[in-house]
Amino acid sequence: MTALLDVRGLRTAFQTDAGTFNAVDGLSFSLEAGRTLGIVGESGCGKSVTALSIMGLIASPPGRIVDGEILFEGASLRQLSPAQMRDVRGNRISMIFQEPMTSLNPAFTIGEQIVEGIVRHRAVGRAQAREQAVEMLRRVRMPSPERRFHDHPHKLSGGMRQRAMIAMALALKPRLLIADEPTTALDVTIQAQILELMRQLRDETGTAIILITHDLGVVAELAHDVAVMYAGRIVEKAPVEELFARPEHPYTVGLLGSIPKLNLRQQRLPAIEGQVPNPWNLPAGCRFSPRCPFVTRKCRAEDPPLIALDASHASACWYAPLEPAKLVQLA
Amino acid sequence: MTILRAERLVKHFHAGNGWLRRGGVVHAVDDVSFELAAGETLALVGESGCGKSTTGRLVLRLIEPTAGHVSFEGRDLFALGEREMRAARRSLQIIFQDPYASLNPRMTVAQMLAEPLMLHGFEPARRRDRISEVLELVGLAPQHAQRYPHEFSGGQRQRIGIARAIVVEPKLIVCDEPVSALDVSIQAQVVNLLKSLQGRLRLAYLFIAHDLAVVKHIADRVAVMYLGKIVELAPKDELFARPRHPYTQALLSAIPVPEPRLRRSRLLLEGDVPSPIDPPSGCRFRTRCPYARELCASAVPPLVEQDGHATACHFWKEIAASGAAVPDFASVPPNPRLERLQAAFAGRAS
Repeated sequence: MTALLDVRGLRTAFQTDAGTFNAVDGLSFSLEAGRTLGIVGESGCGKSVTALSIMGLIASPPGRIVDGEILFEGASLRQLSPAQMRDVRGNRISMIFQEPMTSLNPAFTIGEQIVEGIVRHRAVGRAQAREQAVEMLRRVRMPSPERRFHDHPHKLSGGMRQRAMIAMALALKPRLLIADEPTTALDVTIQAQILELMRQLRDETGTAIILITHDLGVVAELAHDVAVMYAGRIVEKAPVEELFARPEHPYTVGLLGSIPKLNLRQQRLPAIEGQVPNPWNLPAGCRFSPRCPFVTRKCRAEDPPLIALDASHASACWYAPLEPAKLVQLA
Repeated sequence: MTILRAERLVKHFHAGNGWLRRGGVVHAVDDVSFELAAGETLALVGESGCGKSTTGRLVLRLIEPTAGHVSFEGRDLFALGEREMRAARRSLQIIFQDPYASLNPRMTVAQMLAEPLMLHGFEPARRRDRISEVLELVGLAPQHAQRYPHEFSGGQRQRIGIARAIVVEPKLIVCDEPVSALDVSIQAQVVNLLKSLQGRLRLAYLFIAHDLAVVKHIADRVAVMYLGKIVELAPKDELFARPRHPYTQALLSAIPVPEPRLRRSRLLLEGDVPSPIDPPSGCRFRTRCPYARELCASAVPPLVEQDGHATACHFWKEIAASGAAVPDFASVPPNPRLERLQAAFAGRAS
């Protein structure tokens, strides 16, 4: 089966006063139709830049894709003209954001905005588009959709805005939805509603999702596969259950340890010491080596590639698969 | 030993501006009572607008209440004069959520730490010692004293915020979402720091948070708030194992748990939190409660304690008996390999 999306060796650079750095530095992954890939990592790891690169939304200057291929349904997105890319965006690939007000226009009602997208990409009249928009609002469980159609975004609660944005993103039945921290700004009971909604809509429509988040809990809820990013790279990739049960990169191990366990009593959290490296001044060798408790001389000298451990699990650690007894001896 | 007692605290704000004040009255905190012992952590949890931060500001008398009392070490805080209040502030400190907004960008760390020391009458010679002592306590280096906030990362800035709070040797710190703006790995470092400081300095924390996993880790007791009221208050293990109030049950079942193998049934709430300007009659949770009945609309359920576990729900006994939707955290199988790998991280921690 050919992948819906195939990203190969993506490198996105930003020019700043302090110099040029690669926010995304040689990223490769593929996504099959109907699957949900979670991309997790902390601030500055490059997860949002990855999303914007796929969407062709990197502001230039200061940013620029300097290398790599983004193949969507077999065609190279980097080769498309701006006009062709506009036909893809919002139509075959949609995106939703953490803050709905970044994608909702405050000057128009939410109904008008959904209709606008439908009319822009489909050969339908306004009346028919309007019907589809109301239907879409109903499908995202917007309370009283006919009435909300005429509301401006500021009249809606945070949860309802998120629903409106999802309605707008899915109105054209995109093949791929990129969701960048879709529930981060929401309260936990509203977050649960939106996650449930995304799960239902995904199962109904078969839309593939790239779920970008810092929250491993959200990933565990929604993703089929997970890619963990650190300092512009994918350091581990695995099916979701496998990643949580058998992480094979020390960063993933540390990230999982940083979250207090609800099923255990812990005195101290096994936290990762130190901080994410400065992108202008990356450490030699493995980028995680200064914070890794298992670090060896080899790690400080040589950059480990992302290597497949089996058909579905890959890790960028010289010592994967990680064996506790062996690692403790090394360190 | 109880050091802080909040009794029937009420805080109403006038919404909207202009002298007509036509915006109505926001019932931010309504009849909230709790106690806090020396060295203890009480967590206040709840969603946006539940009144947890307002409660935190009330117990420090950063804002004046509409009604109610706060006594600290037996003295009524709201009855203190300006000078007495200033003296009391030495014992009562706060750590804010946003380490970027809560530090003065024009002051070095040393200046920021010297200011409260000066205010509380520490001798100049003692000040310098105290500053280096505190920097070490929070895991910063002596040379950091001469730097400005922008030279630090988010996690380090939160350490500065903590240093500023503990420098005058307080007894109680209100921690207002102290880790929610931080990245996961940094969050864990700061949580560890807060816990170890509490042990060493016998601090009481009023820990305001929305992240229930962090709360479970750090708190001794937990108060759950909804629309200005405490709906449940219990020791943490009891609360997480046997939540009685349907709102607490919904909160627990809504947490995204980083464990795909967790078995659970969900109690998914419909709709949004109602406006605190016009809260529902009777039980404020009734408009979203799957168990609501007539009585819930007419009578405000009092917070009633049984076996050290207080609940404000007319029907909690029936609801508990009907088998509540509580995630079975124990259903997650142990993972000895992962625990051994993580032990290496713990062993490395300073």
